[in-house]
Amino acid sequence: MREMSRTRMIAERQKRYPLWRLIHLLGSLKLALLLLSTIAIACAVATFTESRFDSSVARVWIYKAPWFIAWLGVLCINLFAVTLTRWPWQRKHTGFIITHYGIILLLIGAVIGSKFGYEGNVTLRTDGQPQHRIITDRSCLQVESPADSYLYLLPLDTRFLNPSIASPKYLPVPGTSLRIGIDAVSESLVPEPRLVPATGKAAGTALLIGFTSGMMHQSLHVGLGTGEGAPRTHQFFGRASITLAESSSLLPPHDPEVKKPWLDLVPGKEQGTLLYELGRGTKITSTGVLKPDEELALGWADWKLSLLEIAGGRTIASSPAPAEKDPSKKSAGGVPGFHAFLTTPDDQRGEAAWIASGAVVPLTLGRDLVRLGYGLELKNIPFSIALTDFQIPRDEGTETPSDFHANVRFKNLKTGDEKSGEIRMNHPASYPGGLLANMTGFNYKFSQAEWNPQDLKETTLQVLYDPGWLFKWVGSLAICLGITTMFYIRPRS
Amino acid sequence: MKRISLHLLAALIGTASIASSFAELSTSALESLIIQEGGRKKPYLVFSEEILRSLTGKTSITLNGPGSPKKEAVDVVTGIWMDPSTVWRGRELILLSNRPLKKHLGLDPSRKLFSWNELVANDVLGQDLLEASESQKRDPRAKLVGIQKEASDVAMRMNLLENLLRGDSFRILPPDAGNEWLAPSPEEMPLASLRGAWNQRKQQLFDRTTEDFKALVALTGAAPPSWRISLEVAYQKAHPFRWAWILYAASGIILLISRGSWERWGYRVAASLASIGFLLQACGLISRVLIAGRPPVTNMYESVIWVAFGTILFALIFELIYKAGSFLLGAVPVAVASLILADSQPVILDRSIHPLTPVLRDNFWLTTHVLSITLSYAAFALALGVAHIALGRIIAGHKASDTLYTYLYKTLQVGVLLLAIGTILGGVWANYSWGRFWDWDPKETWALTALLGYLFLLHGRLTGLWGGFGLAIGAVLAFMSVLMAWYGVNFVLGAGLHSYGFGTGGFPLVITFVAFELLFLLVAFLRRKNTQQRA
Repeated sequence: MREMSRTRMIAERQKRYPLWRLIHLLGSLKLALLLLSTIAIACAVATFTESRFDSSVARVWIYKAPWFIAWLGVLCINLFAVTLTRWPWQRKHTGFIITHYGIILLLIGAVIGSKFGYEGNVTLRTDGQPQHRIITDRSCLQVESPADSYLYLLPLDTRFLNPSIASPKYLPVPGTSLRIGIDAVSESLVPEPRLVPATGKAAGTALLIGFTSGMMHQSLHVGLGTGEGAPRTHQFFGRASITLAESSSLLPPHDPEVKKPWLDLVPGKEQGTLLYELGRGTKITSTGVLKPDEELALGWADWKLSLLEIAGGRTIASSPAPAEKDPSKKSAGGVPGFHAFLTTPDDQRGEAAWIASGAVVPLTLGRDLVRLGYGLELKNIPFSIALTDFQIPRDEGTETPSDFHANVRFKNLKTGDEKSGEIRMNHPASYPGGLLANMTGFNYKFSQAEWNPQDLKETTLQVLYDPGWLFKWVGSLAICLGITTMFYIRPRS
Repeated sequence: MKRISLHLLAALIGTASIASSFAELSTSALESLIIQEGGRKKPYLVFSEEILRSLTGKTSITLNGPGSPKKEAVDVVTGIWMDPSTVWRGRELILLSNRPLKKHLGLDPSRKLFSWNELVANDVLGQDLLEASESQKRDPRAKLVGIQKEASDVAMRMNLLENLLRGDSFRILPPDAGNEWLAPSPEEMPLASLRGAWNQRKQQLFDRTTEDFKALVALTGAAPPSWRISLEVAYQKAHPFRWAWILYAASGIILLISRGSWERWGYRVAASLASIGFLLQACGLISRVLIAGRPPVTNMYESVIWVAFGTILFALIFELIYKAGSFLLGAVPVAVASLILADSQPVILDRSIHPLTPVLRDNFWLTTHVLSITLSYAAFALALGVAHIALGRIIAGHKASDTLYTYLYKTLQVGVLLLAIGTILGGVWANYSWGRFWDWDPKETWALTALLGYLFLLHGRLTGLWGGFGLAIGAVLAFMSVLMAWYGVNFVLGAGLHSYGFGTGGFPLVITFVAFELLFLLVAFLRRKNTQQRA
């Protein structure tokens, strides 16, 4: 009987009050079904996108897209409203309510985590300095405004700008009426050397040589100069060294211990030619004269050398250039960046330049100068972390790591208090640590992330600061307990 | 002319020695010899089966052409070790089953095994390998794909044979210092005397040398406990999972055929057979746990076995409660198919026990997260089986009872609970090991997708949007998302952080299964429409 009157009461209130009608609408199972199915489909689509393109594409189009976040918001409303529709609650609703609120808590935790927390990494060396800065996973543009010489940080990810020369994308320069126009982006900017006139000590013989390999589908340009400030040697993929000198007597001697192949270059007697000497260790394998438009097989896999330009009174300048246009340079290891210029409201334009990640580039327009830096955002942390020891135990009889042991020392930058920590796989170290900090997530957690097989003194730690953690784990616990209660614990009637 | 005839003579002598070079000594004494390989110490028997499987894809082969008797792995590998003559390079020992690669190399597409000599002489293969190594040099993290990947697999097998012939693989000598065991040189003991005994066909000497050496190794203290080695030899020989599926299959058949007055007896016999099979499988799994020192859910092979085990486990629990028969009948095909698959596809599902990647070496998280996730797969697999019974009845023109649909609902509940717990535990683990709770890694996302799919199914049933039939259809469809989370992410998408479980192969098999299931659903749907119209 009580059950029947309750049902009638719930039906009645919907008829009488528009608010209850709205609550029942928002909490309807039909909406829940729509939400469940669309989120499931979106997730499924996202994983295929990720596998076919790139994980960041899935992130921007789906997981971190405003519509997806909004849809999760609707899910929260639906979850909350459905618990209201059962009001007044009875004992049989316990599991149902705990589960649905658990999901809401988890999602709130996720929002707090992504708004106020961050993820990043820090690379430490046992013989390196303590670090108090971490590299986050967010790209940003650093703008030094000519108005107040202050550094402004603007979040910017060039991969999703899609600008073109016809329709550039604009960003404001804070404190001024200037704008930064971006008319091209590149995933892979590589430094492209060129010869430029020079005076004084900087002037010398400079040359531009090209290397091509059919087998590796690769080509690259190398600039060398004898003037001050110009590179005299080039390490060819770390496997061979190329040296230029004004005359052969100025070439450094070859170390008999180093068995790497080398290529020594000296300007030829005839204008525009080059004398070369190829060898390995102290042995010379071939010598000769290289003229422009000639190719020389180096005997390093199928790499061929050609002389592109040689002149006196020059030095080498290099500016980033996109490698996409030339597929043979794609694997040369470029950095992302964009092509930008300054512009005024009346459409005056300054000279454009490529801005590569990690470099600071000045852009000018008239008398205005704006310095731009692009790259991953750095975050200061209120303490420093130093690596005191790093060990990699191996599986018996192999070189395969079985674990990673890092000992670290934290130092509070204000108080100077020190604390040591140990990081192993699955066992992160945290600062300030302790039960409360670990439970609330007001805590920096350092987990083992990457190691460098070539340099065993170095390790990269993943850093997590997640103030949403309390909500996440309480929500998680609630979901598990709630479902169990709902399915298996029946109140005695 | 003279030279040719000399060649012929040499060849004849050669073949004569092929036939006889295979000394017929028994190698059973060697089986429990401890050998270090792949980051752990294992019995020689296990080592030789693993090596021969890597080389040829099988654990026993015929050496002297078709018709000659099959040789077991331990005999073949010992043959190579004792007499590493060039004869082995002419024998068909190297697996090359990829058709596109065979076509590309101009090899006979009907053959699967090739000799080292044949492959070394193949210039196209040489060129492929050069290119593969160049592209690896360019980007060591890049994955090889297609023909390059297949070619480098073949090269890996050739290298394996090379190492066997050189004797480098036989690391049986505990070191004075460190933990890297050494392979004895031909002059060293015990290899020198073993080879002597082998060549002179002295069985007693061979066995005694082996036993003496084993006793010596045991004295050094570097050896693992002897019970573990004996257990691993026994586990390797007993094939507990094979016996389990035979018993399960028998149980299923009895359930199917016992009707009328036989039904009660049939049910008892079937339940007993399934229980014995279950115990056998449990013994097998426990052995694996004791040998490896970790829960048996760390690669695709183990998870297939484990899911089969979980399916039977849930079925038996439900049978204890409801004595319905349909749980067991639903579980048996799933378990039998899984176990046969695990037994018959050694190249796709690698059964060898390897050390884990560092992130997985945490028995607490492996036990909680991975076990609950895989048990949820098992519950969903059982639901798949029960749904098939319901749909099968409909196809046969009968009605599926409401009780059956209730059973289906209960099975799905188990799966939903376990998948929810497992996914969340995964988040908590990731928060510790990778430093974040959730980051839309494909495995995470597909676990969530599957969970949402099943929640959709249960919620729709609650609203009455669909009844029992819809639930059955949904249980089959939603299982496709489990397949995606379980197999697809690791073998098809091949992206993300759960890369330790990645593998290749089996795609045609899975696609056939999916296609068959969809067809089955269509038939059930049409049949139901038909009967409803008639009624």
